[in-house]
Amino acid sequence: MSYELNRKLAARRDPLATSASIDAVTADIIRGAFETVCFESATFLGRAASSPIINSSNERNAAIVDANGRLAMGAIGTPHLTFVNQMVTRWGLMNLERYDWGPGDVFLGNDPDHGAGHLPDYCVYSPIFDAQGELICIQTLQAHQGDTGGKDAGGFSLDAVEVFTEGVIYPCLKLVHRGTLRNDVFDMVTRNNRFATFAGDIAAMIGAVQFAVKSLQDLLIKWGGETIKAAINHSIAHTERRVREEVAKWPDGSHEATVLIDHDTAGTKDIKVHVTCTINGDQLTVDLTGTDDRPNLVGVWNTFANTRSYVMTQVVAAMDPSIVKNEGFFDAVDIIVPEGCIAQPPPNKPAALGSFHPACEITEAVCIALSNVAPERSQPQLYKIGMPNAVIGFNEAGMWMDQGVDCRSMDVSAVQGIDGWGACPSALGSLILSEAEDAESRFPILNISREMTIDGGGAGQWRGCPGSLNVKQVLAPTTAMAWMVSADHPLRGMCGGDDAIPYSNYFEVGSPNERKIEQTAQALLPEKAVIAYQHGGGAGFGPALARDPQAVCEDVLDEYVSMAAARDKFGVVLTGSLEDYSLAVDAAATLALRTKMGVLV
Amino acid sequence: MKQSSQTPLTHRVGIDIGGTFTDFALLTDGQVTLHKNLSTPQDRSIGVMEGLGKLAEQQGQSLEIFLSQCEAIVHGTTVADNTLIEMNGAVTGLITTAGFRDELEYRRGFKEDIWDVRLAPPKQITPRRRRLTVPERVLHDGSVHTPLDEAAVREACRKLKLQRVESVAISYLFAFLNPAHEQRTMEIVSEEMPGVHISAGHQVLPRAPEYDRTSTTVVNAYVGPRVTAYLERLVTRLSEGGYKGRLMVMQASGGVMTKEYIDGAPIRVLASGPAGGVVASAEVGKAKGYPDLLCVDMGGTSYDMSVVIGGQAPAEAGWNMHHRYLIGVPMVKVETLGAGGGSICHVSGGALQVGPQSAGSEPGPICYGRGGTLPTVTDALVMLGILSTDKGFAGGGFQLSRKGVDEAFAAIGAELGISAEQAAFDCWRVVNASMSQGVRRTTAGKGIDPRDLTMLAYGGNGPAFAAIQAEDLGITRVLVPRTSPTFSALGTLVANPTIDEERSLLAKANALDVPKLKALWQSLCERAEHHFKAAGFATDQVRAHYQVNMRYPGQNFALTFDVHGPGTLGDLAFADAALGDKAIALFNARHMAEYNHVREHEVPEVTGVRLVTGVQTPSPAFSAGFTPRDDAPKVAAKRRANLGQGFAEIPIYQAADLKPGHALTGPAIIAESFTTIVVYPGWRAEVDQAGDYMLVRG
Repeated sequence: MSYELNRKLAARRDPLATSASIDAVTADIIRGAFETVCFESATFLGRAASSPIINSSNERNAAIVDANGRLAMGAIGTPHLTFVNQMVTRWGLMNLERYDWGPGDVFLGNDPDHGAGHLPDYCVYSPIFDAQGELICIQTLQAHQGDTGGKDAGGFSLDAVEVFTEGVIYPCLKLVHRGTLRNDVFDMVTRNNRFATFAGDIAAMIGAVQFAVKSLQDLLIKWGGETIKAAINHSIAHTERRVREEVAKWPDGSHEATVLIDHDTAGTKDIKVHVTCTINGDQLTVDLTGTDDRPNLVGVWNTFANTRSYVMTQVVAAMDPSIVKNEGFFDAVDIIVPEGCIAQPPPNKPAALGSFHPACEITEAVCIALSNVAPERSQPQLYKIGMPNAVIGFNEAGMWMDQGVDCRSMDVSAVQGIDGWGACPSALGSLILSEAEDAESRFPILNISREMTIDGGGAGQWRGCPGSLNVKQVLAPTTAMAWMVSADHPLRGMCGGDDAIPYSNYFEVGSPNERKIEQTAQALLPEKAVIAYQHGGGAGFGPALARDPQAVCEDVLDEYVSMAAARDKFGVVLTGSLEDYSLAVDAAATLALRTKMGVLV
Repeated sequence: MKQSSQTPLTHRVGIDIGGTFTDFALLTDGQVTLHKNLSTPQDRSIGVMEGLGKLAEQQGQSLEIFLSQCEAIVHGTTVADNTLIEMNGAVTGLITTAGFRDELEYRRGFKEDIWDVRLAPPKQITPRRRRLTVPERVLHDGSVHTPLDEAAVREACRKLKLQRVESVAISYLFAFLNPAHEQRTMEIVSEEMPGVHISAGHQVLPRAPEYDRTSTTVVNAYVGPRVTAYLERLVTRLSEGGYKGRLMVMQASGGVMTKEYIDGAPIRVLASGPAGGVVASAEVGKAKGYPDLLCVDMGGTSYDMSVVIGGQAPAEAGWNMHHRYLIGVPMVKVETLGAGGGSICHVSGGALQVGPQSAGSEPGPICYGRGGTLPTVTDALVMLGILSTDKGFAGGGFQLSRKGVDEAFAAIGAELGISAEQAAFDCWRVVNASMSQGVRRTTAGKGIDPRDLTMLAYGGNGPAFAAIQAEDLGITRVLVPRTSPTFSALGTLVANPTIDEERSLLAKANALDVPKLKALWQSLCERAEHHFKAAGFATDQVRAHYQVNMRYPGQNFALTFDVHGPGTLGDLAFADAALGDKAIALFNARHMAEYNHVREHEVPEVTGVRLVTGVQTPSPAFSAGFTPRDDAPKVAAKRRANLGQGFAEIPIYQAADLKPGHALTGPAIIAESFTTIVVYPGWRAEVDQAGDYMLVRG
């Protein structure tokens, strides 16, 4: 629990010792089998779990870590979780004897100071041994839990200044010993969680891991431990080589980016994330030197493991998507994170909210820096929402939380040649969001509207997807919590594209108590209170005046873009009427306007 | 030509239309006759009539007499699939609840490839200008929160007319619980837009949640006019030709139903072709004593996998993504991989990959000699000697050519530093592994161990890979029916008339409103009775399975199971005060089987009732049993081939020489009409009494 421990956890690991050699095709076949095991495990959890964060938002990830603690071969789930689970597993690996690891064991870890992402991300994992008793790999499964047993229901405390406020911390806790559930431990873990279905959810995680372990043991029998180890080594080395090949295509040089967070949860303004991406031959270095390190900041501390993961989430987006996501990325890319800054906090700092910010600004800054060398793949993989309006209540069964429905269209920036589309950036595309009918059948809420807002995305040669305005009513007194950012500093446009629109959030709309949430809010909303959350949408790519005028006309017809914005932002003059769908581009007037605005078409 | 004045109803005809061929299966006097006819894409009903004419000829009858003797004509069509692939359906508009205009575009956040920021969006069936909203709102208990604004509906119609909309989808929140607003909207749309096709969510998919239902309804609206028009044309042609019965149409659920029933929700025919194959597999497997099957169908562009348990091919409603649109109606679960004979082999980032790009049938693989230049799986099979370049491939005059194949694999080999033959062999390995992993995913989460299954392989390329793949999965028996190349047509023939529908509600299982459940089942029974009667079946012929959808609170995926059945249609006596306890016990048993745990402290909830009804219709009898013959089958030739253990001289058998009771040991290759069966080393092939092949490991 120190910077030194972080250094040890993050240190590069050797390939597995093996007597076997392997050909590329066999290695790839085994890699595919590993990915299938992860798919099976993640699918099992998605079907069996009750928490909407898991079964609707799919905020979970299955991966296999090798005996040296390396992300072995591919993973299934949310990228932001994919690159973090080997860190929490490494703490257990460093203490094998202390924790008495053996076949059939299942462990739980969530300690931000021992390699975990943040407290709500429970990592359940199980070691797999071969017939000779040698540890070969570890099946891991992470999922975001709806509560962590801390001061505030839901796991997020706006005023927390230490991690203990946020909930119960597990560095490495054995849930199952040699195949038998430890009832005393299980009961203690479930007792320390408010979420009504937590016991079922954690049982589902254990079941999903055990299901995967059985499949991996079959693979061990089929291929033998030595061959499996050779396949892992091959896959990681192959990824490292491919990443370096991608980097080598980029011109040498350094590219800096600074992204500001509006404020921390205590109101301190303009929290800075600074990134320098340096390309030197086939070596990419991402350096966060210059990132804010004011010790008194509140709520903006991102764990070291998460910082590495969020950096990597954007690095992989900038490269050929077919490269297998494994430890090879970390072998190929150097990540420098100054100790004590908000991207590698001192021990015991609270960590829950840091996964929103500065984690996402780290990703955004990497994207801006890399847009200089990989513009065609520069879409920030993030969520600029401070935090979703967490609407939390209690009923006879326990705590409930309506979260998923808030997450409609947000932050989907354009990339070169493609307008922003869908509800979220690509990396979050496995989050199957819950729906109004699901939520209203379970919770006392009414969804009033969640449509895209006209002109709600950044303009550009390719435009960002408009953000949605989510309006909902609570039908019973309900706690709501919010942290608003991305109003002063909205999502940045790429390569000359416009920024997205600012986020905004209002509580008790239409009542005498209507108020805009400027920084944070934690309030008991009265029955029938209405809240309205405007999401920022995606940013644009390239100059708006270079957009095809006909595409602008189509956007107006589809009410993504207003007539006024067509003229003022895109320099396009339209004739006819939207009312009767007779709009057409006035080519001559458009040329004249764009010329006047400074661009020759 | 034989003529008859009598019209005994002796024929049943199954027809399946594919991209290239229209397949026919005729059942007469317990005997099945197969026929293939070229499809006629400009109007597929023409090809159907041509094929029927050929079948009539084979029976020595005129088309008129033949059709007049048809008891049933059962049809599987790809019209809906083709419409979605080609995106040339009706100009479609959507009217939905105010505030929910963009659910289709959000897709619940789903993107097919989370790693590729350059993934393009699916083409929109209803661009935003044709997604219009009206004030109205029903709540989760079915009560009305906001009345329908009828003026707004008329205004929406005006806007849709301006945009020349041909088909209107209507999808309001919670309309599946209270459809009054949708029903009134349908009336107004009919008044304002006479002749327009109308699809309503509460009819197409009466279940939550809204994206799933709206997407299904919109796709229904998009494909509906083309499906309906096609079926109308076919009915007219059949009627003019002398057919007096009703046309029965294959559904994705694996059952068939009347054209009139399909007209209510034409989307039910989407993906019905693959479903037909699975239904045929289930019947054949059951008849031969293998009720638990892994069905694999490898054609030119894809590899379809499905699981049959207990002789049943269960249909699942829910998250079925088809052509990038969510289709929520019940579908026989068929997983598709982009790995077919036409899948292109290539090197990407230093790794050998197969597919997902396909050379299709035009130009097709290099060995087709139609201008293809990219090496495919079929070309790899030629390189390996598995496929013959002798005349007669595909059962006709078609001949494969090796010209250009060696060079293409040499180029791949050069990139990888291996020989051309090794490159072809590695492609074979890659595609095998890809298929095996696909199978594992198909069984994912179901707790099914492939080793407990018998593989049933069909499609033109399936039998070439089946046994080696089975070996990889630990499967020891592979069934290859001689009719496998026309399996989907056979499926339409053996599929029974079926209606599978559900109604939603949400209730704690220990506090069920039993009269309410009975009322829902009763309404489903009445619908089923109406449609079966119209199809000519008496109510007492209908077997009914009364099912519930249940889950623990918060779970998103309900488990569906029988609480009563098979029973009589409309007999709801089973639904008594003990129903809740019975349902909880059945649910917990299912949950334990699926997820290895039961939640002692949670009360499960019922999310809907479902009624699966069907009528047993005559099917071909599929013979079983293997009685060895004394004589050994004749080896027709030998060919240099690599069946996984290096090149060797491999014996080739002609299917015509193989008789029931014959057995042969691998390595060997059997040349069948339209397909090639590979008997890998360590495997043995037996020809059973029906002439079907059973490949046995060891």
